[in-house]
Amino acid sequence: MEEIKAYIESGILELYVLGDVTAQERAEVEAMALKHPAIKAELDEIEKALELYAEANAVEPADNQRDRVLNSLLTNLSDDRTFPSRATKAEDNIVPFESPKQTNFYKYAFAACLALLIVSIIALVNVYSNLKQSNTELAVLQSQNQHFSNRVSVMDHELSVFRDPSFKLLKLNGTAKSPSSALTVAWSPSKKKVMIDMANTNMPVNDKDHQYQLWALVGGKPVDLGVFDADTTSKDMKEMKEIASADAFAVTLEKRGGSPTPSLDQMMVLGKF
Amino acid sequence: MSKKRKISLSEEELVLALRHREKIAVEALYDMYSASLFGVISRIINDTAVAEDVLQDTFVKIWNSFTTYSAEKGRLFTWMVNIARNLAIDKIRSKDFKNQGKNQELENNVTFIDERRNTVYKPELLGIKELVETLKPEQKSILDLVYFKGYTHVEAADELGVPLGTIKTRLRMAIVQLRKHFN
Repeated sequence: MEEIKAYIESGILELYVLGDVTAQERAEVEAMALKHPAIKAELDEIEKALELYAEANAVEPADNQRDRVLNSLLTNLSDDRTFPSRATKAEDNIVPFESPKQTNFYKYAFAACLALLIVSIIALVNVYSNLKQSNTELAVLQSQNQHFSNRVSVMDHELSVFRDPSFKLLKLNGTAKSPSSALTVAWSPSKKKVMIDMANTNMPVNDKDHQYQLWALVGGKPVDLGVFDADTTSKDMKEMKEIASADAFAVTLEKRGGSPTPSLDQMMVLGKF
Repeated sequence: MSKKRKISLSEEELVLALRHREKIAVEALYDMYSASLFGVISRIINDTAVAEDVLQDTFVKIWNSFTTYSAEKGRLFTWMVNIARNLAIDKIRSKDFKNQGKNQELENNVTFIDERRNTVYKPELLGIKELVETLKPEQKSILDLVYFKGYTHVEAADELGVPLGTIKTRLRMAIVQLRKHFN
């Protein structure tokens, strides 16, 4: 009893009612009030006295404050009644911030970049091989083009021989040794040019050790005009050594490289003007 | 606006109605306690508009956190006046209110300081005249500092230059006087 009296007189109960106590002191006062009805009664007296004191010192708020306060409280009253536990369950509505999503995004972005890189490399390799093929084809076409232009210039040259009125065409006929042989010689005395038409030759194919040699007979003497091979593939006009005048042309079969003098027994064709 | 149809309920009825979140409970709550609460708030906050904001905040907080009130731990008004006092103190300690206070200080320097010093002894705010005679001045100053100005008893001891033990004793004696007076 003495203890309770001392506790009451310490003034702690007044401070408790005024809210001027620590959490520990508050718990202690509440425990004491539960245990001792005298303390509970004392607290009640203090509360009543302070409540009346506040009433005595009351200040009436302006009339418009009543509607203002009531409206702010009642605005959501119907909602509150529909969901009575709303106020206490407010923390359940907190949506957690989804931070892991951030890292996932970078993961996917990195994978996408990698895939794009691989696709790009494949495309690049493809394009490069196409380019190489095109270059090869282009080179082939260029060489063909070159070939044809060469061919055209050769033909042009040949054609000019036939167009040139100064050229005389002489058909060399086969001798007794080779009656079927024939060769056409074009000769321009003014330009000293001698050409043989390989397309129109009809000579037996010579072997590796021998070559045909063209001779011009000038005043009965043979003059060397160069050697040629008789084959079926060559179709060009072959230009021989120059000569200004000739009575006749003849071809003999000589050892490869030609001879200084013709072997008359090997004469294949002969033609005279 | 000036409809004087104030609703009054017993404390038990009011608490029950508030638990059931009934409209009449809100009205009764305001009619029964707004003046007492505003008396505390307006003594802590001189600016009427700000005090009215805090009064509204107080009722909102009472309404929203009513589930935390427990009748076994004390009277409803004790719980509510502590909410009002804490909100009012938070307000005057907040940054924007301090800035406002500075402006006020420049304009109304003398009256502001006078108000601060004399609040405790303001006869027009004391209400019932006999109370002035009931309480000794030193009891009243300590009680008003703690109850109406939001001082802790430690701060009040500092402010009045009185030892802590004396503060506690005077506070208790003041309330004992009040009890005698109201009985």
